[in-house]
Amino acid sequence: MTSEPREPSSTEPAPEPAGPPPGRRSFLRGLAGGVAGGVVAGGAGGAAAGYFSRSAPPAPAAADEAALTGRLPAVPFHGKHQAGILPGPTPVTAVVSFDVTAGDQASLTDLFQTLTDRARFLTAGGTPPPVGISGPPSDSGVLGPTVEPDGLTVTLGVGATLFDDRYGLASARPARLTTMTSFPNDNLDQAQCGGDLIVQLRAGSMDTVLHALRDIAKNTRGGMQINWRIDGFASPARPTGTVPRNLLGFMDGIANPSVASARDMNSLVWVQPGAAGEPSWTAGGSYFVVRLIRMLVEFWDRVDVFEQETMIGRRRDSGFPLDAASIHATPNFATDPTGDVIPLTAHIRLANPRTAATEPSRILRRGWNYDRGIDEVGDLDMGLIFTCFQQDIERQFKAVQTRLIDEPLVDYVSPFGGGYFLALPGVTGPSDYYGRALLA
Amino acid sequence: MVMRHKRLLSTACTVFTAGLTVGLAASLSACSSGAAQPSNLVTVSSNQCGGAWSVQGPGWHTFQIDNQSTGGGEIDLIDPANGAIYAEVENTGPGTITPMRLNLGSGTYAFMCNFNDFDTQVGAKVTVGGHAKGTPAILPVSYNQTIPYAKKYQAHAEAGLKVLARKTATLAADVRAGDLTAAKKDWLTAHLRYQTLGAAYGTFGDYDGEIDGDANATGVNSPDWTGFYRLEYGLWHGQSAKELTPVAATLDKNVKALLAWWPAQQIPLSDVGLRTHEVLENALQFQLTGNDDYGSGTTLATTLANIQGTRYLLSLLRPLLVPRYAGLPAVYSGLGRLQSLIEKEHRPNGMWVPVSALPASARQAIDAACGAVLQSLAPIASITEPRNIANDF
Repeated sequence: MTSEPREPSSTEPAPEPAGPPPGRRSFLRGLAGGVAGGVVAGGAGGAAAGYFSRSAPPAPAAADEAALTGRLPAVPFHGKHQAGILPGPTPVTAVVSFDVTAGDQASLTDLFQTLTDRARFLTAGGTPPPVGISGPPSDSGVLGPTVEPDGLTVTLGVGATLFDDRYGLASARPARLTTMTSFPNDNLDQAQCGGDLIVQLRAGSMDTVLHALRDIAKNTRGGMQINWRIDGFASPARPTGTVPRNLLGFMDGIANPSVASARDMNSLVWVQPGAAGEPSWTAGGSYFVVRLIRMLVEFWDRVDVFEQETMIGRRRDSGFPLDAASIHATPNFATDPTGDVIPLTAHIRLANPRTAATEPSRILRRGWNYDRGIDEVGDLDMGLIFTCFQQDIERQFKAVQTRLIDEPLVDYVSPFGGGYFLALPGVTGPSDYYGRALLA
Repeated sequence: MVMRHKRLLSTACTVFTAGLTVGLAASLSACSSGAAQPSNLVTVSSNQCGGAWSVQGPGWHTFQIDNQSTGGGEIDLIDPANGAIYAEVENTGPGTITPMRLNLGSGTYAFMCNFNDFDTQVGAKVTVGGHAKGTPAILPVSYNQTIPYAKKYQAHAEAGLKVLARKTATLAADVRAGDLTAAKKDWLTAHLRYQTLGAAYGTFGDYDGEIDGDANATGVNSPDWTGFYRLEYGLWHGQSAKELTPVAATLDKNVKALLAWWPAQQIPLSDVGLRTHEVLENALQFQLTGNDDYGSGTTLATTLANIQGTRYLLSLLRPLLVPRYAGLPAVYSGLGRLQSLIEKEHRPNGMWVPVSALPASARQAIDAACGAVLQSLAPIASITEPRNIANDF
């Protein structure tokens, strides 16, 4: 499952395929493109696609080894959909919002092509080319002489602001894409909201993510500028075999649609060809909601466990719904119409009422924990990077979030940032690039 | 401001402490993994430079440079026809094996070895057949080639310092006479003049701290804080002419002392190339962040002065860069873009929009343009670094 770091062999048996010729694109000018090769991509459907995922859990021993060495197999980059959407949370992530500073549509196309080239190289791994005396090294060296894929995925999304008058894209705007609006319990800081682009990097270890971020930022300098960013981590499941917990101490993301079900994914996650009002280029993409949610953990820790459990609707220790005896049991709200067991305002009950009418509002929910220091009064600044993928933000995330307005939990959490995006359709092959159908 | 130490070519054994450690690690890992094939081992010493070697053909190749001399050295793989360098290993310690990796294209290659206290050696010429394209070679710049540029730069800075000394004299007189309105205006022109010389801040040594140091270490109330920013702080925070008269006089005195000291200094030959990106690195770090705004809100003007200084350095090095750096046009277009974005923020009254008051999109555009131009300037230091060159070329 893990590959040992490879010594660059002294005589490579075959010439490595050359990267894009330097200078082909403005953002690559003077910077050598990466050279693929040297590291073998993991087998299709490798365990990275199921790391921490309920549908395809890795064998415990293998998972432990992966966690120890911090190396996951490569996730194939090319495909109909972006590779970082369906797999369960990797150990670490960075969510980075950018504003585009490229001067015109041709430069925007350069930017998307450069982003594609870098993502293609970084997710496959390989040895960055030496530059001789022609300049500083092409790679930061953070991962050593050979870049290991380490399960890296690069998910690129576009925000509504990209479709203003700067790049002539107004008529191509995805039908269901708006800027993020404030909900009644939100405390949004505009400096940590929105963005023309969102890039989510996911991998087995933080150095892999930061190496990728530095590489991408360096190669796109001048074309886009970081707007806000947040790093996150997924905890290992405790106890082993259960579901990872968030920083409230509760298991998080238990009731997700099955990523193995093409039917569910096509009805809930992927923008379908010919979807009403959607420009055709959006097919295969997915609406991507990011919400940065501070958890007031000091306050939460002063609440007794029964009150915590009734707010959530699950047992803290086991993750069981309050009315059942297993994690994945479906709570039976119908037999508890007055909320004697699971209160009507419990988070799991409002979020997913488990009725036929609310089935189409289900989302593919992916949460990471964040931890970034302290606030003005010395309390810990930690919480949740809530992300979800869906076909229609109004029908799905916003419907769920509307049901959650004024739930008891709102006193202990504070959404402060994030945004709405459309994760682009996948890059289908070596000659394709992010947003080709949009920019063509 | 920032002083930067640039590597010195093989001058003292102490230099090799780090190199030795790295080299040993490399050699140990090569032994344990069995990666070092005898055919890739290239032996160098004070009396041999690679010996007879061969490769199967073009493609990626890693030589293991085995330094069997008693001292450190620099090993280059060159085109023996003109001395252009394909790959370089600096500071190889005695007894170490250091990898040298490149994509060998079709052509002729030779190792060139420079050991301390020994003549430059060029080893056997080896031809790689076929029609493959590999890592391109770059013509090195010799020490002798660099000397005129350093001298020109020194004279340019000296002329600039003379102008600066007249301006700081006027500024000190304004303050002494109690005309703080004139002082603010003359402060700006004098400070911008100094910042166009930013190329030399490393070489101005302690004078730079006295003339243009920020208050990060001392705090703004410390008597140890002197120079332009100290004066700016006073002028824009309602301090009296009486209080500022000695501040302005000290600034003027220090500028004159620098002017007297400067012509006798020897500028390290690599400095001119290094400064081509360092001046704007400092602008990004101290001006565009607003760190060095002590009240006048003129850090954008300072950045323009830094652009002007960078342009001078580029014009100086242009003959070296044109044949060596394909990215040079991008440098100029990037500087032009940054400059035009900043000039938009010049107010009709002659003052500037403070960076903290810029709309987010304008600030992002300026920061992005600065980042882009820095990226394109980065290779110049490496390309123009003076190197030992075999006498044959």
